[in-house]
Amino acid sequence: MAAPTATASLNASTYSPGDQMTLTVSYGDADTRPVTVTIVVTDAQGNSSAPVKVTAVIDPLTLSVADDSGRTWAKVSDNGSVAVHRAVA
Amino acid sequence: MPRVTVTVRDNGGRTATATADYTIAAPVLGGYYLSGGADPTADMAGGNFRSLTQYRSFADGYIFPGYNRPWLITLGRSGVKMNMVLELKHYGAPNTGPQTFTVDGTTYTVPAPAMTIQQRPGTTWPRAYGYSQVLAGLCDGLFARALSQYRTLGFGVNIQLASELDTDHEFGTTESGVTYTWAQSDARAVQAMTYIVDWFKARALPAGTTFSVGVAGFDRACYQRVHPEPLMAKLDFLQWNVYATNATHTALARFRRPKDWAVADLGPIALSRPVLIAEWGVRVAEIPNQAAWIATVPAAIAQLNAERGPRIVRTNYFNSGWGTLSPKETGLAALRAAYATRPYV
Repeated sequence: MAAPTATASLNASTYSPGDQMTLTVSYGDADTRPVTVTIVVTDAQGNSSAPVKVTAVIDPLTLSVADDSGRTWAKVSDNGSVAVHRAVA
Repeated sequence: MPRVTVTVRDNGGRTATATADYTIAAPVLGGYYLSGGADPTADMAGGNFRSLTQYRSFADGYIFPGYNRPWLITLGRSGVKMNMVLELKHYGAPNTGPQTFTVDGTTYTVPAPAMTIQQRPGTTWPRAYGYSQVLAGLCDGLFARALSQYRTLGFGVNIQLASELDTDHEFGTTESGVTYTWAQSDARAVQAMTYIVDWFKARALPAGTTFSVGVAGFDRACYQRVHPEPLMAKLDFLQWNVYATNATHTALARFRRPKDWAVADLGPIALSRPVLIAEWGVRVAEIPNQAAWIATVPAAIAQLNAERGPRIVRTNYFNSGWGTLSPKETGLAALRAAYATRPYV
């Protein structure tokens, strides 16, 4: 089992009060894999159902953001490897 | 410094964390200057004015707070940040000769100013103490006098050496009969400014003392020449002045011009310094609606500060010369409104 990785970057180092702040998180884990399970039910007479697909993630990741100044960060987007959060300075 | 911490956790409880630090800047200080170095207290009343520019000649016997300027002490002690422009330029009669005076028991004799600056053809060239005179130690008495007075103020100030080196040098300078080109004058000024900053920093200074050198900021090559890294390492601010003198001038473009040059041309030490706008103004002849132009300034400053490069931290409106507010009350109302707006609050 591999450990996850994460990097975080802000769009600036200094903000004026009221500025919009953008945090970009890149993350991943070598074990994380999407899987798709396709099920077909076949009876004794050989009749098969239409295939049904379900998806799942092996070793899913959860991402949390904390700010020691108490600022609230809201998730804007997350595609599973890059997440963008915003806050107000 | 606030820190944001990101934690990624997998299904097995293994985690990765990453952090990013940031700073929330203090609001930009809205500031002022009133023509003639007059008492600005009444104009500033009721507005979010937190910064002030003043001009003194080292030749003057009354630099801090200035002759008959007790209000400067009152304002400074109430928290208004002072930008004291101290000039080698001599403001003229009386007393353009040598001076002998005593500072804290030591008697100094300082020779007559031997340089001319602002040598615009067809004008009378002002006198100034020469850069060679400074480097020879002949002006140390002027600095000692200023420092002695400064120590009685009760608060720290920014000492801006020279008002506008580019304006001073644009047409060359002359010291003791020797002429120097603009570029030569810049190089000599850098040496002299370094000498003066070193002189002050070698002595006990009031807490909060900072230094900068003054430049109008209308010439890119000059701006680069007078901001070498060894000098910037001794200085606390970048500085430039901003005037709208054409109907096409926008606040964003005018405040941005020297910033773009700085970002392109200056070194990392210079770019680590915040920007003090010692003067900004709108010339009513070309821009009759001064108030409307002033109203665009907060957003321009906010935008510039959101971009890469040094941040503008003080902007002092120059109610004199090109920036004279006319009508005054309309202009002051516009300034009060602007300084009540982000990023000034």
